[in-house]
Amino acid sequence: MNTIFDSVVTEPLKDFFQKFLKFMPNLLSSVIIFILGFVAAWILKIVISKVLGVLNFDRFCEKFGMTEELARAGIKDTPTNLLSRILYWLVVIVFTIIALSTLKVPAIENLIEAFFLYLPNLFIAALIIIVGYMLSNFLGRATLIASVNAGIEFSSLLSRGVKTIIFLFAVAMALEQLGIGRETVVVAFTILFGGFVFALALAFGLAGKDIAKEYLEKKFKAKETEKRDELKHL
Amino acid sequence: MFNTMAENSVILEKDIREKLNELKEADLLVGIPSFNNSITIRHVVKAVEAGLSKYFPNQKSVLINSDGGSKDGTMDVVRDTTTDFDTILVDSREGFFHKMVTPYHGIPGKGSAFRTIFEIARLLDVKACAVVDSDLRSITPEWIELLIKPVLEEGYDYVSPYYLRHKFDGTITNSIIYPVTRALYGKRIRQPIGGDFGFSGKLASFYLSKDVWETDVARFGIDIWMTTTAVANGFKICQAFLGAKIHAAKDPGADLSAMLYQVVSSLFDLIEEYAPMWKEVKGSEPVHTFGFEYSVGLEQINVNLDGMIEKFRLGMKELSPLYESFLPEDILKPLKDLTEKPKETFSMSDDLWVKIVYTYALACHKKIMNREHLIKSLTPLYLGKVTSFVIEAWESTAEEFEKRLEELCIAYEENKPYLIEKWDENV
Repeated sequence: MNTIFDSVVTEPLKDFFQKFLKFMPNLLSSVIIFILGFVAAWILKIVISKVLGVLNFDRFCEKFGMTEELARAGIKDTPTNLLSRILYWLVVIVFTIIALSTLKVPAIENLIEAFFLYLPNLFIAALIIIVGYMLSNFLGRATLIASVNAGIEFSSLLSRGVKTIIFLFAVAMALEQLGIGRETVVVAFTILFGGFVFALALAFGLAGKDIAKEYLEKKFKAKETEKRDELKHL
Repeated sequence: MFNTMAENSVILEKDIREKLNELKEADLLVGIPSFNNSITIRHVVKAVEAGLSKYFPNQKSVLINSDGGSKDGTMDVVRDTTTDFDTILVDSREGFFHKMVTPYHGIPGKGSAFRTIFEIARLLDVKACAVVDSDLRSITPEWIELLIKPVLEEGYDYVSPYYLRHKFDGTITNSIIYPVTRALYGKRIRQPIGGDFGFSGKLASFYLSKDVWETDVARFGIDIWMTTTAVANGFKICQAFLGAKIHAAKDPGADLSAMLYQVVSSLFDLIEEYAPMWKEVKGSEPVHTFGFEYSVGLEQINVNLDGMIEKFRLGMKELSPLYESFLPEDILKPLKDLTEKPKETFSMSDDLWVKIVYTYALACHKKIMNREHLIKSLTPLYLGKVTSFVIEAWESTAEEFEKRLEELCIAYEENKPYLIEKWDENV
């Protein structure tokens, strides 16, 4: 009777208890790492805020129109605060993952390995989006000013077109980096871009032929008048 | 002596160094920067040689052609050009004249060409120098006299050119460069970006000592830089009336906004550099002018007023979000009102224009956005002011126009406290 009780109850309990005892240090270090993560994230947040403040990061974002875009998206925070908060949560997530990996649970370990392998892609994609966004703003504004100075009536449209195409291009590149629907994204972008140009050509050539005619006539006449302009600016 | 060349990193060709070693020193130097000017430079070289022979026969003179790598044989033209002294009533050259042709090194641009000229002037320890453009058609031997004599005989350090120009020529100079230079630095130099200057050997060495040769000064903006550096550093300044300035036609496709950017950007750079100096300057004073001044009748020229008004309106419509980010309401409102005005009543007040220019200078100083975008966005507003000015001065004589320009200059001087007050304010 005793032997049966031992093999059915005592042994498994003993086994579980031993496993639990073996697991306890892992759990403890996991909890400590998790708490440390919050502390490290908090310190990093303060340091990053100070450094970005010294570097005038908010002014830089304002210059490239990022603050304006954030406000338009309903984000009232300054770019410095936003970035330091993002970094705060990034550190917390990384520490959480490390904490989970210290538990040494095979299923979690596999997941974490996959995540860490994927992480560089995430960073590169984020970088592509940020650079693409800044570049789209910069070139959009350059196009707007240049086309206004050239006397082009639909300058805003042209500027928005340049901005959208560059940003879409960046998004397509980022998605390709993440491996999300790799072929679909490339094909979709090609179709979208090609379609956009084709639609523009059609709209301008067929539907808007009168407008096109009027515009070209106006431009041509304007050129003629400009030729007669004898004003010397320098 | 020549070791300093390396220190200053002005690279001179070996044959030039040998010639300079032979020459040792000279009294006068005239520099001609060039780049593909084979058609026009012959006349300039002749005028310079004739001027030096006729007016400075007893001085040891050197002509330097500092070339930017011309492919059309400009340097050969300079080498081969000879002057017929009989036609200018000079029997023969009594003094010493030497001609040197050298390519310049460094960033391509007029500034780098000038740097080589300054370096040669320093090495030859010259008393007086002049620089003249290589595309001039109206240069006469008298220009050399007028640019050099005030330095050589009157003790001036810098001679700024004063040309006879049509009232609607040089609108960037008239509406921005001249009045801003005058209001900020206190000297009434009518054409600060003229392009042909006279200066002392001492000033040439001073220019050379400045650490600007890797900046935009080397590319463009050397003219305003030379004038402002001379004024702001207390050198003795005067003007020389040279008559009409006619030069080879500029590229008709040259973009106005690019031109405006280059000139205004250089002006704003200098405002930044000399802020402690100009904040202390009050009012302005005339500078002595040499030469026999005269004026001629003004023929009417074609001005596309409708086109300029259209561009002003388009700019106000399309760029208003950009303007709203840094122009205050007391500037924006009258600008918006102006878009509604027909050509007949189109008028931008001097005060409004002056505040626009000063606010742009402040925006550049506070780096609120990309500098090139910012300055190029001034183009439609500048066209608005030019239109207003042309309409107002359509029937004016040259004298009446100068009086009107004087009013604009006074507006710049009166509004200077606005610039000073906002300069050190945080955004």
